[in-house]
Amino acid sequence: MKKSFGLRIFVLAVSVITLSVFLCSCGKNVPASEVTGVDSLPGKVIGTQLGTVGDIYASDYIEQGSVIKQYNKGADAVMALKQGKVDCVIIDNEPAKKFVNLNSDISILDEEFTNEEYAICIAKNNDELLNDINSALAQLKADGTLADIISNYIGDDTGNTPYVSPEGISRNGTLIMATNAAFEPYEYVQDGVIVGIDADIAQAIADILGKELVIQDMEFDSIITAVHSGKADFGAAGMTVTEDRLKNINFSDSYTTAKQVILVRNGNAAGGGFISKEKFKANFVDDNRWQYITKGLFTTLRISFFAVIIGVILGFLIAIIRFTCDKNGKGKIINSICKFYITIIRGTPAMIQLLIIYYVVFASSNIDAVAVATIAFGLNSSAYLAEIVRAGISSIDNGQFEAGRSMGFSYVQTMRYFILPQAVRNVLPALGNEFIVLLKETSISGYIGIRDLTRGGDLIRSRTYDAFMPLIAVALIYLFMVIILEKCVGQLERRLKNDGK
Amino acid sequence: MMENNRLIHVENLKKSFDKLNVLNGITLDINKGEVVVILGPSGCGKSTFLRCLNLLETPEEGKIYIDDVEITSPETNIDEQRQKMMMVFQHFNLFPHLTILENLTIGPIKLKKVSKDEADKRAHELLKRVGLDDKSAAYPNQLSGGQKQRVAICRALAMEPEVILFDEPTSALDPEMVGEVLEVMKELAATGITMICVTHEMGFAREVASRVIFFDKGVVAEDGPPKKVFENPENERLKEFLSKLL
Repeated sequence: MKKSFGLRIFVLAVSVITLSVFLCSCGKNVPASEVTGVDSLPGKVIGTQLGTVGDIYASDYIEQGSVIKQYNKGADAVMALKQGKVDCVIIDNEPAKKFVNLNSDISILDEEFTNEEYAICIAKNNDELLNDINSALAQLKADGTLADIISNYIGDDTGNTPYVSPEGISRNGTLIMATNAAFEPYEYVQDGVIVGIDADIAQAIADILGKELVIQDMEFDSIITAVHSGKADFGAAGMTVTEDRLKNINFSDSYTTAKQVILVRNGNAAGGGFISKEKFKANFVDDNRWQYITKGLFTTLRISFFAVIIGVILGFLIAIIRFTCDKNGKGKIINSICKFYITIIRGTPAMIQLLIIYYVVFASSNIDAVAVATIAFGLNSSAYLAEIVRAGISSIDNGQFEAGRSMGFSYVQTMRYFILPQAVRNVLPALGNEFIVLLKETSISGYIGIRDLTRGGDLIRSRTYDAFMPLIAVALIYLFMVIILEKCVGQLERRLKNDGK
Repeated sequence: MMENNRLIHVENLKKSFDKLNVLNGITLDINKGEVVVILGPSGCGKSTFLRCLNLLETPEEGKIYIDDVEITSPETNIDEQRQKMMMVFQHFNLFPHLTILENLTIGPIKLKKVSKDEADKRAHELLKRVGLDDKSAAYPNQLSGGQKQRVAICRALAMEPEVILFDEPTSALDPEMVGEVLEVMKELAATGITMICVTHEMGFAREVASRVIFFDKGVVAEDGPPKKVFENPENERLKEFLSKLL
């Protein structure tokens, strides 16, 4: 009977999630938008992708009573539009066309929102690279390569003029490009590789400059930070030159023009339900998209596992130092340092810590983002673990210390053989809780461009524009991992609780 | 001044907690094989004295020598010296996460580098002596108070110390269990091991002790064989103390 307990929880959770989604969404018939053009934008709820030009220009309407809802991905904004959470979405013309093709219930308004030029961004002090890229762009424009690349993705003749690197290029050093691969056709992920107009242009530039191109995927609003801090050499992500951006960054000559358009609901019925064979195929089978989930899962497990190790080692160390200092009234300075550390870590959100460690602490080093995340989550967890373990040590009767010490065990030996085993046993449920929190906390790894489990689901979402299946699949995997973790902790608890009580 | 037989030498030991002087200069020698019972009213410093011998309390002044090694000197490895004197506590302080057998063997295995087989064998022998070998796989919380204290005595013996310090070993026991522990202590005394006991068990002091020391206000007020201390007390406070017990 005990064995089926986990299974029953699992089935229950699946049923609850499925049922609630159906009840919330299926019954609602979302009417057409009232937005008919730029003039009707005031007072409406406008969806945008955070940090894009559409977002920046849309914010002008706040004064006129509009509400701007900023989403991390264009696909999320479109999802919100479909569900009636926003009245319209302002987005780049090319991705908008893809959205309309996939969703019968949304349309592009004929009236354009803005017409803009895209350019590559480069750090302010890097004039050498700026000049190199500008002359490379001029060459690509002159020989028609640029036009070929764009027409390979946009227009009626796509797929016929793919960019191929010339043979026999000697490459010397790397060129790191920051992008947000959720902006089809400029940059998106296909078969696990970032492709698109910007990716191809960047490759062509790298070929001319004789460099190895490395593309780093991140949130759109992180790109300028990455270039500014030197994490990336340049950013290419369908970026428009704006006054605000020019304060922090330089832009190359424009390589293409793009239109921002307004997406609205047209009142047609949305195609398909939440679960269908086609949707399953699109989300998981096509392009081997299931690999985003499996690879992401592996990354999540890797980060969690090593973060737990860092957290446990550091946490125990801090707990022992804090306890020893409090007990003996000595080591006030080191005790204060530990207290300060715990206050700082617990007093700031894990995501901010992750971003600070990536963009500030390791700004100038080329350390792997997964290693950064592991360190960040390890440090974060250590502060919580330290307090849990300290509570555990404090709960042990002083007689246990005296017994150990009086037998001739040193302080460290007494801790190791007598105090910590009992302390850990006493706080095991709290430790298990912290491990679960840590596992789920790693879902913010995507913010520094790591393709963890959550980001894996996001990548699928940005290609299929379907929220339901990827999100539920990811949720279920987290749930499943937590249930296994709970089981392990429970097993350990039973094994350690063998003192005959 | 050097006596071959001397095991412990205490010189002008002083200890206070906050502003309360608990030990006011204790000087005494304890010889090998002596069974010493320390008596005194509560607050006289007898437990503190015992804990100072094992350096569970750090004395403020004075010196303690064991086997002519000054343990109060900062250069001495205290952990090493402590292995010569094992403490038996009022509240047993067995390790609840270890079995009875492990409670007895962890010291010899980890500190004296005795092999596990040998430590197990010796532990079983000791447990047999106190009639608890059938409990070797049990955990401390499955035992009665008297059984726990007998195990605690075995744990001390397993380390093969030169002296065992008993800190009110029967005070936390139910009355019907006091006897079994005193019985074990009595048998132990007969083996010739040095024992220092802080206890209120007058019967034990009379029958078993070779020497009784009466503490009052942090100093040694009377010191002699039990017959003399109990039947011919000189100190007024001791007379008062004994009269209250009768």
